[in-house]
Amino acid sequence: MPLNLPQPKRKNAISLTPLIDVVFILLLFFMLTSTFVPWRLVDTPLSVSSDQQDPAQEKPDNLVLTLKQNDDQVWVDGQALRFSDQAAFQTLITDHNEGVFVIKAEDGVTLQTLMHLADRLKLNGAKTVSIANAFAMPESK
Amino acid sequence: MKIGEKYAARNASNDDNMVPLINVVFLMLVFFMVAGQIQKADPVAVIPPQSINEARATTDPNVEIVLGADASLYVDDVLFVVDDIQAYLEQAFASSSNPDAFWVQIKADGAISLEKLRPIFNQVRLAGLTKVSLATQLERGNE
Repeated sequence: MPLNLPQPKRKNAISLTPLIDVVFILLLFFMLTSTFVPWRLVDTPLSVSSDQQDPAQEKPDNLVLTLKQNDDQVWVDGQALRFSDQAAFQTLITDHNEGVFVIKAEDGVTLQTLMHLADRLKLNGAKTVSIANAFAMPESK
Repeated sequence: MKIGEKYAARNASNDDNMVPLINVVFLMLVFFMVAGQIQKADPVAVIPPQSINEARATTDPNVEIVLGADASLYVDDVLFVVDDIQAYLEQAFASSSNPDAFWVQIKADGAISLEKLRPIFNQVRLAGLTKVSLATQLERGNE
């Protein structure tokens, strides 16, 4: 004979809605505050002496590249060289493999252009690229 | 009443339907907590130059100089005039507990032109500091 017991009542757990509210707020907080792209660093060691010598004159193998505008061109020995000209960059770099590539920049050149050129040189195998000269005050020239 | 019962039954099972939602939300929460890094916001919005350079900082910078695209200059989150940087750096260096590891980070916008950066570098040089790093971001998309 079946017992006519009352059905055991399902225990009503605490409502989930407040929990979700809190979790959503936490989620929003972490989504908005977290960054996934950490900053990278380019070291630009500075020479302390105020009468810094021009590194271009120290070693004959050093090569000075001058940026004049933000037009993706760099001037080497009076010749313009496009950033996209991979072959020219490669010959330039194999010719001066042991030297330092010294980048100089005229007024108006942006930091991004400077970094582009440094990247180009590095990608094509340059060992030492110096960008610190681009930040030297013009009166030291 | 039939309609009332149905309605009540649906109400009771509402929370059960939410369980998968909470599962997903919890997973996202854990992902963002573990994978993300919480950083202090910069005083001005700065879009750093993109570069292929991979080097990361091993220690926190002792002094952080932020130069926004509008040439507004902040040193350790305080608005500064270029000429005051040298004195501030000298004082920070003198009070540093580990002068050998003292380094300065410069966060400059990629669109800033170099003649705006030169006086800042000059001030750092005048303060006698040599360890300076420029912040960049990894190039995305075209690699």
